[in-house]
Amino acid sequence: MIVSIAWKNVWRNKPRSLIVICSITLGTIAGVFVAGLMNGWVDQRIRDVIYTQMSHIKLRNPNYLINEESQYTISDYKQITQFIDSAPEVEAWCSRITIMAMATTSRGSCGIVLKGIDPVKEKLVSNISEKLVAQGGDYFEEPTKLPPVLIGDKTAELLRIKNFKIDQRVLDSLVRLKIPKPITEKLKQLIDIRYITDRKFKSALNERLSSSEIRKYGPYILNLAKYYQPKAKIAFSFTNAKGELSYQTFQVCVIFKTSNSTFDQYSAFVKKVDLAAVAGFGEDQFHEIAILLKNEEEDLIPFSEKLSTQFSEANVMTWKTMAPDAGMMADFINFYYFMIMGIIFFALAFGIINTMMMAILERIKELGMLMAIGMSKMKVFSMIMLETIFLTLVGSVLGMLIGAGLINITGRVGLNFASIAEGFEAIGYSAVVYPSISVSFFFGVTVMVIVIGILSSIIPARKALKQNPVESLRIE
Amino acid sequence: MKVIEINNIIKIYTEAELDVIAVNDVTLDFDEGEFTAIVGPSGSGKTTLLNMIGGLDSPSSGEILIGGSSITKLKGSELTNFRLRNIGFVFQSYNLIPVLTAKENTEFVMELQGKSKKECEVRSLELLKAVGLEERVNARPAKLSGGQQQRVAVARALAAKPKFVLADEPTANLDSKATETLLDIMEKLNREENITFIFSTHDNRVVKKARRVITLEDGKVLSDVKKNGGE
Repeated sequence: MIVSIAWKNVWRNKPRSLIVICSITLGTIAGVFVAGLMNGWVDQRIRDVIYTQMSHIKLRNPNYLINEESQYTISDYKQITQFIDSAPEVEAWCSRITIMAMATTSRGSCGIVLKGIDPVKEKLVSNISEKLVAQGGDYFEEPTKLPPVLIGDKTAELLRIKNFKIDQRVLDSLVRLKIPKPITEKLKQLIDIRYITDRKFKSALNERLSSSEIRKYGPYILNLAKYYQPKAKIAFSFTNAKGELSYQTFQVCVIFKTSNSTFDQYSAFVKKVDLAAVAGFGEDQFHEIAILLKNEEEDLIPFSEKLSTQFSEANVMTWKTMAPDAGMMADFINFYYFMIMGIIFFALAFGIINTMMMAILERIKELGMLMAIGMSKMKVFSMIMLETIFLTLVGSVLGMLIGAGLINITGRVGLNFASIAEGFEAIGYSAVVYPSISVSFFFGVTVMVIVIGILSSIIPARKALKQNPVESLRIE
Repeated sequence: MKVIEINNIIKIYTEAELDVIAVNDVTLDFDEGEFTAIVGPSGSGKTTLLNMIGGLDSPSSGEILIGGSSITKLKGSELTNFRLRNIGFVFQSYNLIPVLTAKENTEFVMELQGKSKKECEVRSLELLKAVGLEERVNARPAKLSGGQQQRVAVARALAAKPKFVLADEPTANLDSKATETLLDIMEKLNREENITFIFSTHDNRVVKKARRVITLEDGKVLSDVKKNGGE
C-alpha cells in the first residue's frame, strides 16, 4: 500500500515530476554515453596491446632487456616451448628474433626494431596481418625478388616511401564523395605532381585551398592522394649474433597501419629464416616468445607465475607490466565510470531534494492527518523515500535505455575523431572509436540511483517527520 | 463500560511568555455507544480536549484512560500505534488522501493495521454502502462533493472498528442537506456498531442529534446534559 501511494504521489504534479525526470534522464544519458565512449577507447587500446603489440605474456632473456643486444637470446628455448605446447592455458604462441636496426632508403632513414617471424604462427598470436593498408601487396604470400618486409605506415612516411599525388583516380573519388566542384577544380592544378612528404603536399594544398576548406576536406584529400611506392627497397643495417655490423636489403611486400603510430614507426616484420641467415642466428635462437591465453582473466597471473617458477632464467612479463598505462586503465576503468555517474547524480540530487521539499511542504496537512490517524513515522519516512526513489528510477531507467540505444548505434558505425587522429594515434588510441558498455555497468548505475534516491529523501523526510500533527491539521 | 475516563486534566500553553489554561481541571467519562457533542464558544477548549482524548496532545497534568489503559503515559510510536488501533478521526476538512479512491481511503487504516486485503475490501464496501456511496467506490476525492467526501471520512474512521470516533467540526464545511444526511448516517452507524461518537461542534443540528451535550467555557465544564434518545 505504501508502495502504491508513493507511486501515485510521484504523478500528483505531473509537470513538476516530468521536469525532474527529464533532467535525470539527460544526465544519465550523458553519463552512460561518456562511459561507453571511454570504455570503447580503453577496450580498443587493450585489444591492440594484446593482439597487435604484446600478446598476454612475453618471455625474454633478462640480459636482452638491459641494452637489447642481439646476442642475448632465450636460453632453454626447447624446454620452454615444449612446456608451453603442453599447457592447457595456452591458446597460441610464437617466437621472434628482434634486432635493433637502421632502415635506409634513398630519401630517408630511421631507427627500427626488425622482427624475424614465422608468418603462419605469427597470425595465430598477432592480428598484424589484418591491419594491412589496402593498396596492393600481401602478407608474405607472393614470392619477391628480395626478402620481403612488412613496415608500418609511419615508417613508410619517414623513409619517403609514402608519397602523395593527385591524379584522375583521386579526383573521381572526390567527386563520388560529393566534394564541391570548386575544390576539385583547384586540385586539378596539382595533377600528377608527386610529393614525397605529407608536409610538402599539405603546403601545396594550403596555397590553393582556404583554411576552412582544408579543415573540412583535407583529411579526405590526404587519404585518397596518398600511395606507397610499390616494391620499395629498404636497406637494414644491424649488429649480428657475433656482434659484427651486417647489412641486408629487403623489399616492401605491404604496409600495415595500427592505431598506435609509435608502434608503426618502430616495427618492421621479416621472415625469420631470412633474418636468421643474415644475422647468424641458429634454428632455436630467438629473442622473445609471445603467448596468447585462452582465459586471460583467470590465467594471466597464475600462468605467468608458473612460467617464472619453472624457468627462472627467463624474464616473464604480462601485458599489464609491459603496458602499464593500459594495465592501469583495465584495472581502474570501472572506478572512473562510476565516479562520472556519481558526480552527475550528486549534481542531480539537489534538484531532486528541491522537488521533494516542495512536494512535502504542499502536503504538510495531509502528512499531519496520516500521523494523526496512526501512520507511524517509519511508514511516513518509507513513503517519502519510495517517492524519491521512484522519481529517480523513472528518469534513470529511461536515460539508461536511451543511452544504451545510442551506444548500440554508435558502437556499430563508430565515431570518427579524424581531426585529432594524429594526437590519438601517437599515444596508441584509435581515432575511430566504437562505444561499448557491459550489462553489469547498468546494474551498478541502478544501485547508485537507489542510493541517491534514499539519500535525497532524508532531508524532505526529516522535514515531514518534524511536523506536529495538531499544528499541521490547523493549516488551511 | 467506560470507554474513556478523563481525570482532572489540565492543559496549559505558553504564548508570548503568558500561560494560557486551555483546559482547566476537567473530569469526564464516556460510555460505549454514546453520541456526545462538546459545545462552547471559540477558545473554550473543545478542540484541545478532543486532541488530548485522541492522543494528539498531552495534558500538563491529569490522566486519560482509554478502555482502562492510560494513554498519558504513552509516547512516540506506542501512542501512534494506540491511535491506530483504538481511535477513529473525522476532520473538519475531510482530509482524504487525494491519490486514493473512496474504497482505498476507507481501507487505508485497516491496511496500516496489517489486515488482509480480502478483509479490508469486504469491510470497506460494507461501510461505503452504509454511507450511501456504493456507486462511487472507485471515485477519487476530487470527483466527490464535500458531503460525499465527509461520508468517506466517516467510513474510514469506522473501518477498523475503533473504540470511539472523534469528529472535530465535521459539518462545518457542509451545506444543510449534506449535514442532515451525514448526521443521519453517523447516528445510524452509532446505533448499529455501538461505537462511541464524540463531536466538537458549533452546529446546532449536531447538538440536536446528540444524546449528551457537554458545554465548555474557559476550559471548564459548564454543563453536562444527557438526553433520552437524542432529538
